[in-house]
Amino acid sequence: MVTSLMLISKRQLRRSLRNLSPAIFVGVVLSYLFAPVIVTVLFSFTSSPRLSLPIEGFTFQWYESAFSNPLFVDAMRNTLILALTSAIIAVLLGTSFAFGITSIKGRRRKIALTASLLPAAIPALVLGISLAVFFSGIGSSQGLLNAAIGHAVLSLPFVILTMNARLETFDFTTLEAARDLGASPLQTFRDITLPLISTAVIGAGLLAIALSLDEFVVTWFNIGNEMTIPVLIWGLLRRGIDPSINALASVVLVSLIIIVTLSNRLTHRTEK
Amino acid sequence: MSNGAATRRLLLPGSSFYVIFFVIPFVILGLYSFWTQIDFKMHPGFTLEHYQAVLTTSLYKGVFLRTIIVATLTAIIVVPIAYVLSYIMQFVFPRKGRILFDIILVSMFSGYLVRIYAWRTILGKEGLLNATLLQLRIISKPITFLIFSNWSIAITLVGLLIPLALLPISSSMANVSKDHLEVAGDLGSRGLKMHRTILIPMVLPGISTAFAISFILAAGDFVVPTMVGGTNGVMVGNLIADQFKGLAPNWPLGAALAMSVLVVLIAIHAALMRLVREITRW
Repeated sequence: MVTSLMLISKRQLRRSLRNLSPAIFVGVVLSYLFAPVIVTVLFSFTSSPRLSLPIEGFTFQWYESAFSNPLFVDAMRNTLILALTSAIIAVLLGTSFAFGITSIKGRRRKIALTASLLPAAIPALVLGISLAVFFSGIGSSQGLLNAAIGHAVLSLPFVILTMNARLETFDFTTLEAARDLGASPLQTFRDITLPLISTAVIGAGLLAIALSLDEFVVTWFNIGNEMTIPVLIWGLLRRGIDPSINALASVVLVSLIIIVTLSNRLTHRTEK
Repeated sequence: MSNGAATRRLLLPGSSFYVIFFVIPFVILGLYSFWTQIDFKMHPGFTLEHYQAVLTTSLYKGVFLRTIIVATLTAIIVVPIAYVLSYIMQFVFPRKGRILFDIILVSMFSGYLVRIYAWRTILGKEGLLNATLLQLRIISKPITFLIFSNWSIAITLVGLLIPLALLPISSSMANVSKDHLEVAGDLGSRGLKMHRTILIPMVLPGISTAFAISFILAAGDFVVPTMVGGTNGVMVGNLIADQFKGLAPNWPLGAALAMSVLVVLIAIHAALMRLVREITRW
């Protein structure tokens, strides 16, 4: 009796352990992924520049010193210019490409799609130096435009992927119906296609903006003497421990998380 | 059919953009690796001296070997984690899978430089981990091997690459239904055997892509070794970056280094995928 009870409890223990272990695994991975994020935000508010536990002394001083950095305004402006320009380029080209790819069928379509995703599988370092070499070869000096083009190359795969997913459930017969009823291609696009894909387009655009806001490597090799927020953070990082980095980084982090969450919401809503 | 041709024309702007700003620059980089540079000026030609330098200089050989070891280590850790995550999201918690996926995706976009720097804060000699462990009296001296070593590079890279590896694996796994696995179970493939003989072969394309992505991106990164690798933590990425942004730039040498590392990585990837295919045969 006692042994059988023990057997049951052992079996139950094993079973509950088996049921729990996936949750534990997910928990461990999530804390691994988000530990750096949490640490950064946490230390952006602590007064002691030395990192130790227990954490004490709540302060905004690092935010003040980050925002009063004379390079901050310039960096912010350039970062926004890059994000908007590259997102617009990537969304226009990527949406058009995703529509174009629907005219290809079967294996060739898969190959075209895979090829279009290639820039995401090449180190940003290689993209950055090849663009730098290319631009110097055609005699264009480094600057914001070069970096914006680089960002667009990086964002295009993600825009194509998002728009391709949207178009997989897109009902192309509505476009035929509109044309049969006498709508011009432009009218069809404006009145039928655009409203149907607009949320996905905005979602893809936000993703492109997020990628650009966070981009450092391609920027660094192509932007010349201009400053962006990631380039500014890099400069501060190389100089050593400066808690205003955490403040600056937290601002970027929070904006990125908001933008990506919003983008995700929009692109999934249109999937249904 | 004129409509199909019109739709196909929509591919043109994007493809031309890719050709001009992605393919051509890459080809030029490849060409430059055979050129020579004299007094900061590029001279067209055909020389193998840069590749020779890559193969014979002991510094480069050492750094290459290190890079390949760290990148392989990273990919070998990343891919199984992404596979298990993707399996859990789809088959264990199917209803929470979507939101889990979104949360992990958010981490992918949450500050590249910052996350790398934060690992230094966590793993450093006076970092968070050591401070906590010392305070809890689990250790009496700070652990030092965790920072400025191959370990810190791998730990940081794994965190950066898990979300990217998850994308291809979970999209491959989306084609597998629960019924497939149940039938496999009824036929006697359960537990690990099910993974080895059924699921892994079915999602192999995704696994292969995930491995390639993590491997290539790990080997090409120069920010991680700069931030957490310390003075002995130089990887090929640093050598390449130095040829373009360093004190004594040498573009042809940088180009040759970049081309060599890509070729080596593709070769290793092909060999490893062959191995996986052998192991997972029925």
